[in-house]
Amino acid sequence: MNSRTRLIFAIALVSALLLIPFAFTVGQFPISLAEIASLAWAKLSGASSVPGSSANIVLFEIRGPRIAAAFIVGSALAAAGAAFQNLFRNPLVSPDILGVSSGAALGAVVGIFLSLPLVAIQGLAFAGGLLAVAIIFWVGNKIRGHDPVLTLVLSGVVIGSLLGSGIALAKYLADPFNQLPAITYWLLGSFTSVTARDIFFASLIIFVAVVPLFLLRWRINLLALPDDEARALGLGVGRMRLIVIAAATLMTAASVAICGIIGWVGLVIPHAVRMLVGAEFSRLLPLSMLIGGTFMLAVDTIGRSIAPTEIPPGVLTALIGAPAFIWLMAATFKQRRI
Amino acid sequence: MLNAQNLTIGYAGRTLAADISFTLGDGEVIAILGPNGCGKTTLFRTLLGLLPALHGTTLLNGRANVALEPNTIARLIAYVPQISASFANFSVMEVVEMARTPHLAWYSSPGDKDRAIAESALAELNIGDFAGREFSELSGGERQLVMIARALASEAKILLMDEPTASLDFGNQVLILDEIAKLKSRGVSVIFTTHHPDHALRIADRTLTIARSGQVQIGLTSVVLNAASLTALYGIGIELIERDNRPSIVASLESARPLLNPG
Repeated sequence: MNSRTRLIFAIALVSALLLIPFAFTVGQFPISLAEIASLAWAKLSGASSVPGSSANIVLFEIRGPRIAAAFIVGSALAAAGAAFQNLFRNPLVSPDILGVSSGAALGAVVGIFLSLPLVAIQGLAFAGGLLAVAIIFWVGNKIRGHDPVLTLVLSGVVIGSLLGSGIALAKYLADPFNQLPAITYWLLGSFTSVTARDIFFASLIIFVAVVPLFLLRWRINLLALPDDEARALGLGVGRMRLIVIAAATLMTAASVAICGIIGWVGLVIPHAVRMLVGAEFSRLLPLSMLIGGTFMLAVDTIGRSIAPTEIPPGVLTALIGAPAFIWLMAATFKQRRI
Repeated sequence: MLNAQNLTIGYAGRTLAADISFTLGDGEVIAILGPNGCGKTTLFRTLLGLLPALHGTTLLNGRANVALEPNTIARLIAYVPQISASFANFSVMEVVEMARTPHLAWYSSPGDKDRAIAESALAELNIGDFAGREFSELSGGERQLVMIARALASEAKILLMDEPTASLDFGNQVLILDEIAKLKSRGVSVIFTTHHPDHALRIADRTLTIARSGQVQIGLTSVVLNAASLTALYGIGIELIERDNRPSIVASLESARPLLNPG
């Protein structure tokens, strides 16, 4: 790790460590940093003096899960994006490219349409995301073209739009007073109703998916090379591709299941990190996760504090992500790195 | 040791060349010549086990290549592909370290020993100062040198080089030929494809030609490459002029015109 990478790591870490306590103070119920520190200390030492106090509830049951969810989901989406950009040899790819978000959205929308309980909606979203990617992977493999990556992308586009029409149909048929707002709300993404239980399951799945990415962090670099070259260097390309797709899909589906669709994070963050520290995945993965989490938390903190009503994080990430993306794209082409 | 036995190469329903048999000796250089689309790269893919042969086998140390894991093949043969544009901005050092893949466990990254091997491979080609530069910012000739350094860092004793001089300026072409000659003197075996018969005459012990008809010839370069065989191979009038006991090739421009309208 050179000094430049170390500096960027340090800056990212300090920003995250400053932002997290700050995010606890932001909101309609004012809590000072000193109060947070004493409440946290009381909780940690087990001497919770006033367990039922409103500050305690706001801190540990409302803001705590929300902050954790934003950070974890941002990290997971950025990690999945970093892996997919490498796998598809394209720095402008997002974790959605194989239809995981469309599949999850359709699952959730069907759940809302059938007025199922929240757990079932989340389960359907998770399963829908996995199923969509499995179908796309299967179709892409069946076609067996000259370029397996291209056939994957193309079948992703086709099946993604098929799923999109399913979502549109559900919206059209949904009850406009009860269900449609819930569907729209879900499609825009939100951390408002995330519970500690959601976070527990999502982070468990995300952790299981990050482990192989972390262990394979160096070999994943070779996926950025043409297939023949990677194989001649000793990489089992097909197996590696399957592992990376499975890991990135699990992470994205788990994220989408608890907080809906939040775009742009998985595209812009790893792309920007790659420009900062290069494509080497051992650096790209941890830094993307750290910056992705921080960015998501910043966006959600802004979204719940600048306006009288909350701005959905999906809207804000698009507002920030789209211009950032155009700027990055211009910078990339200028550097002839594409 | 690489041993091609009666190989028929091509894709399902399309045979490109048949009856390819040779054994690559230690420190031997074999050139592969043939018109565009004759199957030179396909032969490489077949030898590397990336593509199954339609018939026949390639033996690596006595075992069929298709039965070997990619890791095992990579330890025996290093592949130097044609210069390709890579999207990723890896440093030269990172690119060369990739050659250590077959020597590393699936979960590990290159360590100090691998770094030292990569460094000495760069030093071998006198490009030690490239290490920290970005691969994508190098010129064609520089990239080709880095790819050869990567092949050396794999410590494989056989190099397959796909058109190593393509798209290089004249000076860099000669530089690469000199590097191949040096590899030979270190006991490394090289098979390279080229569109320049001159390059084969210059450094190849043996030459394998693949005609458009799929007919294959292999033998000592000085025997395989003569005016008649080259004329047949490329379909144009070619003469060999000897000077100081070294043949050089002269093609007549007018003789190439029928290539456009074979009728």
